[in-house]
Amino acid sequence: MAINVGYFIRESLVSFRRNWVMSLGAVITIYLSLLLVGASVGSSVIVNNIVQSVEDKVSIRIFLKDGAAPEDIESLQGVLLKDERVKNVKYTSKEEALEEFKKTMEDSPEIVDQLEVNPLPASLDVDLDDPRNVMDVVATIKANPTFPNVADKPEDPEKSLKYGQQIVNQLFTFTRILRTIGVVFITMLAVISLIFINNSIRLAIYARRKEIGIMRLVGASNWFIRTPFLMEGVIQSLIGAVLALGTLGLAQLYLVPVVREQLPFLPFSISGTAAVQISLILVFSGIIIGIVGSGFALRRHLKV
Amino acid sequence: MISMRDVSKSYVPDKPPALADVSVEIEQGAFVFLVGPSGSGKSTFIKLMLREILPTTGTIAVAGQDLGKMHNWKVPFLRRNIGCVFQDFKLLPNKTTYENVAFALEVIGRSKHVIRTQVPEVLRLVGLEDKIESYPDELSGGEQQRVSIARAFVNRPPLLLADEPTGNLDPATSLGIMSLLSRINKTGTTVLIATHDREMVDSMRKRVIALEGGRIIRDQSRGVYGYGD
Repeated sequence: MAINVGYFIRESLVSFRRNWVMSLGAVITIYLSLLLVGASVGSSVIVNNIVQSVEDKVSIRIFLKDGAAPEDIESLQGVLLKDERVKNVKYTSKEEALEEFKKTMEDSPEIVDQLEVNPLPASLDVDLDDPRNVMDVVATIKANPTFPNVADKPEDPEKSLKYGQQIVNQLFTFTRILRTIGVVFITMLAVISLIFINNSIRLAIYARRKEIGIMRLVGASNWFIRTPFLMEGVIQSLIGAVLALGTLGLAQLYLVPVVREQLPFLPFSISGTAAVQISLILVFSGIIIGIVGSGFALRRHLKV
Repeated sequence: MISMRDVSKSYVPDKPPALADVSVEIEQGAFVFLVGPSGSGKSTFIKLMLREILPTTGTIAVAGQDLGKMHNWKVPFLRRNIGCVFQDFKLLPNKTTYENVAFALEVIGRSKHVIRTQVPEVLRLVGLEDKIESYPDELSGGEQQRVSIARAFVNRPPLLLADEPTGNLDPATSLGIMSLLSRINKTGTTVLIATHDREMVDSMRKRVIALEGGRIIRDQSRGVYGYGD
């Protein structure tokens, strides 16, 4: 069998060279579709990391109404401090909130200057031990009888509370949309790459129809006739996969640091294991596209 | 070697069949001519034996194997036992004489060692030992047909089928090809030649099976092409 492997690789490469225009077309479409697959998987990994980090910031912020009775605030603070799920409750006054806002707006002080009155509400910041308790504690706060008296918007308690889960939910919606769009595009591109491989293999079969006829005549087995074409399809898609991987690697090397600099507060990174997983996904889907695409061509155009 | 019983083949259901009720026995080591005008069913006969097509009715056995019951994947192994020679030689133009013959061994997975010993040997047998590096377009028609016979015989099949092997050749060259096929027959290989080369058949005095309209009209040992037709 050792001779055969060399024979198949040689035949595939010769055929690849012989109709390189079609082969190049197939390689490029596979490259683009796998690039998109990689980019979308990579970005969903990043978004998941971000979601994770938001979940880690397990604080609930209760916005307080201007002029709420200090004793009501203190009583709510006291009740929450007694709750064993709560680590700490810190009061932030309107002035402190403004200072904080000024700090985050350091780059554009004119926005702060335009403020005539302080629009920011005072708040109670509730820190929790365990992120999984966020929803429970939110429910407890909502059920507390003094909460409506101090809440910034008592008619809509949900708006007086701010907690990680909301951001997490928004992020999830966002990633869901992103993923749906990604799947649609990837499916379309996968179909296009299948058609391209199918075509290029069909041409390869046509170019070698005389040899195939003789091989059949002298009794070459079916798999022996088919394997070079199958391998040609796989080689085409593997080249596409490797190019896609290379591009993603470059993006990881040069693009991700730039983005990270722009968005320093987000954990914008892909771990080593995720990178390996993405590489495996790309290579395997490349092989599968190659086999399926050339398989179709063989079924339709190479009766043995 | 070949056994056909009540074999009929129709390509189009309502038209007369290409072969009708053909029963024939060809024993191991025989040398047989299959004669008849165009459209008499010679090519169908050859295709049936190669199992390129299946009979509509009847049974065919080649080299002890029932072709009707044979699995598709086994067909290549059947064909390794049948050497094939055609009127148009079917040589690969971009391969030399040696490569064309070696190709037949290469694609059935024979080792390099086997190829290196068997190819020169068979090329000596057909008398082309000094044309090993020539490409088909540098060879005469007769030489090309010798290459194709060498390719058919290099694997030493027990059966050699030739479909109009001298159809494109002049009488003198044809004679050479026939004597080559006869020599191959002497090694024990069964040889079946479909032809309408009357002089050739008459001069060889071998068994003749005559087809007309898909039926066997005559089957004689030591026969001639026909009387008056």
